[in-house]
Amino acid sequence: MSRFQEKGARFLLTLPPAAYLLLFFLLPGLMMLLASFRFPGDYGGLAPWYYLEEGSLTFDLTLENWARLFESTLYLQLLLKSLLFALLTTAVCALLAYPLALTIAASPKRHRELLILLVILPFWSNFLVRIYAWMIIFSPQGALTEGLNQITALLGLEPVNLMFSSVAVITCLVYVHLPFMVLPLYANLEKHDPALLDAAQDLGASRAQRFWKVTWPLSLPGLYAGAVLVFIPTLGIFAIPDLLGGTNGIMIGNVIKQQFVESRDWPFGSVLSLVLTGITLLLVVIAGRLGRTPGALT
Amino acid sequence: MSRRNPFVTAAAVAVYAFLYIPLIVVAIFSFNDSRLNAEWVGFTLKWYRQLLENDAMLQAATNSLIIATCAAIVAGVLGTLAGVALHRFRQKWLTALVLGPVAMPDILIGVSLLLTFMLMNISLGMMSIILAHVTFCIGFVAMAVQSRMAGMDDTLLEAARDLGASPWQSFRLITLPLLMPGIVAGMMMAFTLSIDDFVVTFFTAGVGSSTLPLEIYSMVKIAVTPEVNAISTLLMLLTLVLITVLSRFSPQTLRS
Amino acid sequence: MKKLVTAVVLSLAAVSSAQAQKTLNLFNWNDYIADETVTRFEQQCNCKVVQDYFSSTEEMMAKLLAGGGDYDVVIPTQNAVEALIKQGFLMPLDKTKLGNVKNMAPGFMSRSYDPGNQYSLPYAFTTTLIGYNENRLQELGLDPADWRIIFDPEVLAKLKGKVTVMDDSEELIAAAMKYLGYSVNDTNEQHLKEAQAVILKAKPYWAAFNSSSYIKELTVGNIWVAHGYSSDMFQARSDAREAGRPFSIGFSIPKQGAVLALDNMVIPKKARSPELAHQFINFMMAPENAAELSNIVGTGNPNAAAKDLIEPEILAINAIFPSDPQLETLETISARNSKERRFTSRLWTEIKVR
Repeated sequence: MSRFQEKGARFLLTLPPAAYLLLFFLLPGLMMLLASFRFPGDYGGLAPWYYLEEGSLTFDLTLENWARLFESTLYLQLLLKSLLFALLTTAVCALLAYPLALTIAASPKRHRELLILLVILPFWSNFLVRIYAWMIIFSPQGALTEGLNQITALLGLEPVNLMFSSVAVITCLVYVHLPFMVLPLYANLEKHDPALLDAAQDLGASRAQRFWKVTWPLSLPGLYAGAVLVFIPTLGIFAIPDLLGGTNGIMIGNVIKQQFVESRDWPFGSVLSLVLTGITLLLVVIAGRLGRTPGALT
Repeated sequence: MSRRNPFVTAAAVAVYAFLYIPLIVVAIFSFNDSRLNAEWVGFTLKWYRQLLENDAMLQAATNSLIIATCAAIVAGVLGTLAGVALHRFRQKWLTALVLGPVAMPDILIGVSLLLTFMLMNISLGMMSIILAHVTFCIGFVAMAVQSRMAGMDDTLLEAARDLGASPWQSFRLITLPLLMPGIVAGMMMAFTLSIDDFVVTFFTAGVGSSTLPLEIYSMVKIAVTPEVNAISTLLMLLTLVLITVLSRFSPQTLRS
Repeated sequence: MKKLVTAVVLSLAAVSSAQAQKTLNLFNWNDYIADETVTRFEQQCNCKVVQDYFSSTEEMMAKLLAGGGDYDVVIPTQNAVEALIKQGFLMPLDKTKLGNVKNMAPGFMSRSYDPGNQYSLPYAFTTTLIGYNENRLQELGLDPADWRIIFDPEVLAKLKGKVTVMDDSEELIAAAMKYLGYSVNDTNEQHLKEAQAVILKAKPYWAAFNSSSYIKELTVGNIWVAHGYSSDMFQARSDAREAGRPFSIGFSIPKQGAVLALDNMVIPKKARSPELAHQFINFMMAPENAAELSNIVGTGNPNAAAKDLIEPEILAINAIFPSDPQLETLETISARNSKERRFTSRLWTEIKVR
C-alpha cells in the first residue's frame, strides 16, 4: 500500500469511532469537570457559568462543591465503606469462583464448553431479575428467614432480618458479579501445563504443596483480572443497595444517583462522580502494572 | 490435572446451585396463585395473561428491542472500524478511548451523558438512550473484531496484494468476510448488553421512552406483583434462545 | 442487512401509528386515582389514558424539569404548584371549558399559592401520618398517634426493623419538626439541624426509606409501622381486609400535628393535548368522579358537590377528613427559596449517608 493510501486508510478507520467517542465519552467527562465548579440551579441542575452583560464577561464559578467533600469525614467514610463492600464482594467472589474454575479446567475437554456456558447463563438473565430473586429469597416472610429464625429461637438469640442488611447487599453483589471472576480465572487455569504438576508430584510434593507452589502462583494473573472486573463495577453500583440495603447499605453510587435525580445538586454529584472516576483510573493503572508480572500466562 | 479433589468438586456443585436457585425460585413463583412470593398456593397462568395486557410493559419491550437493534447496528459499524484500526495501527489513545466506557462503572457514563444532553439541549428520549448505549457497546464490538483479526491469516492479504488487488478490494473481498463471524458476535453481544442495560438507561431515558429493565425496576419498587416473575421468566427464556444461537455461531465470543 | 433495516423502519412506524389515537398523558401520585374513574373517562372521551407515577414531590419536579413536560395533566402539591408557576412552566387554564368549577368548596379555592386559580384547580387532599398494624401495636402496648413511634429510640427498640419512613426530605424533616414542636415551615437552620439529629438517632431502627411500596409491606405484614399518606393507609386497610389477613391496618394523625397536602390539577405549557387535558380536569370536578377519590382512594375532598356522594363512614374518619381541632395542628408546607432548599438538600444527603 502506498504511503498515501496507508494514511487514508488509517484516517477512514479511526475517524468515525474516535469522533463518536470524543463527542459522547470524552466531552461529557470534560463537561462534568466544568460542572463540578458551577453553582446548582435554582430548581436543580446547573446555574449558568458565565454572564455576558454589556460586553463584559463574568464567570460564576466556585470551589465550594469540592470543599464540601472535606467539610467532614462523612464522604471519606462513604468512600471507605464502598471500597470495603467492593473488596468483600471481590474476596467472596474469588473464594466461590476458584473451586468452580478449577473443576471446569480439570474436566475433560468436551465438557468444558458446556460447563462454562452453564456459568454464564444466569448472567445473561436481566440484571434486575437477579436482584428481584434475592428480594424474594430474603423476604421477611420467606422460607429462608423463617427457617433461620427458628434456629436462632432454638439458640435463644434474637430473630434476624436478612432483608435490608449488609449481608443481603453483599450476597446479591457477589451473585451478580460472580461470572466476571470465573471466566478470567478459568481462562488462566485452562492454560496450565499438567506436566508441571506431574513433575512436582514426581519430586515428592504433597497435594497442598502442589497447589500452593505451582497452581496458585500461575493463576494469579487470572485472579487479578477477575478482581478488577468485579471490583470496579461494584464500586459504582446503586440498584442493589437501593433495593436490598435499607437505611444503611448506602454506597457511593447511591449518593451520586441521589444528587443527580432527587436532590438535583448536579455540581456536587459531578464532584462525587469525578472522585469515583479518579479511583477507577487508579485501579485500572494498578491492575495493568500487576498484570505484567513475570511468568504471567495471560 | 486429572486428579480431582472431591471437596473442590463439591464446592463447585454448591456454587452452581447458588447460581441457579434464585432464578428457579423466580420462575416457580411466576406460576404461583398468590400475590405473595412466600409460599406455594396453586398453579396459575394468570400473571402471564395480565402481562400480555400490560400496555406499559409491552411498550417498554418494544422500545428495548428498537433501541437494542439500532445500538447494535451503529456500534457494529463503528466498533468494526475501531477493531480493525486497533489491530493494524495499535494506537494507545484509541485503545483508551474505545475501552474507556467498558472499564468505567456504568453510573459514570450515565450521569455524564445526562449532564451533556441537558447542556446541549438534546431532549431525553429514545435517541438519547441509543446514543448512550452505542458509547459502551463500541468497545465490545471492537474487542471481538480485534481478537478475530489477530487470529486471521495475513498471508491471504499478501497474496491478494501480489495479485494486484487494491487495499479497498482486499478489505471488502477478503478481510470483511473473514471478519464477519467476529462482527456478528460483537453485534449480538452489543444487542444483549443494550437490552439488559439498566444504569445508563436510567439516567438517559426520557419520559415515555421506558425500556424493559426500567419498567421492571419501577414494578419492583411500586407494585410488586408476580407479573414481575412472569416477565423475568420470559426474559430468561429469550436469553437462553439467544445464547444457544450465539454459541452455534461463534463460541469464541463467549470468552471475551 | 436490508431486511434488518426494513424491520426497524416498520416497527418504528408501528410504534408511532399506535400513538396516533388520542392519548392523555397523566402524571400523578402513586395509587391516587381509581381504575374505575380512569376507565370511565376513557369511555367518555374515546381516548386512552397513559399514566406515569411519582412518589415524592422531589421526584416529580426532577422529572418535569429534566425536560419531561409532555404530560397533559400533572397533579402536584400546593407548594410545587407555586414553584412551577414561578418557573413559567404551566399553561393558564381556560375557564370556559371548566364548567364544573362551581362544584368546588370555596375554602379550597384562590389560595396564596395560586390566587384566582389561574393555573391550578384542587384535586384532593391528604395528611401525612402513621399507618400501623393494629394487632402488633396492641400486643406491644404502643400508641401510634404520636410521632414518638418513629422517632423515639426507646419506643423504636421494640419495633426494630419493622418501621419504614418516607423517602422524602420535605415530609420526613417536617415530621421531625412537628415531633420537636416546631412549625413545618420553620426555616431556622439550628432547628432544622435538631430535626436532622432526631432522624439520625432513629435511623438505625428503621428498616428502610420507602415512599412507594409501603402499602404492600403493611398489608403483607413485613412492616408494622409506616410513615405515609392517609389515602395510602386507607387502601392498605381495604387491601388487608380483602386479603383476609389475620390483622387490621389502622392509621392516625399524631397528636403533635402533621402535614396537610392539597394536590392540584395543572397543565404544563408543553402539553400535547391541552383540549383533552381540560376535558379531564372538568371530568374530575364532576361530583360522581370526585367522590370516587374519597370512596375508593381514601382522599380528602375539596369538592362540595361530591360530599353527598361520599360514604358516611369515610367522612367520619378523622385522618381523612380532619375535625376542626385537628385542623389546628395541621400545616401545609409552603414553597422555599433556593437557599433554604439547598440547605435542606444538604441535610438530607447527610441523613442518607451517615
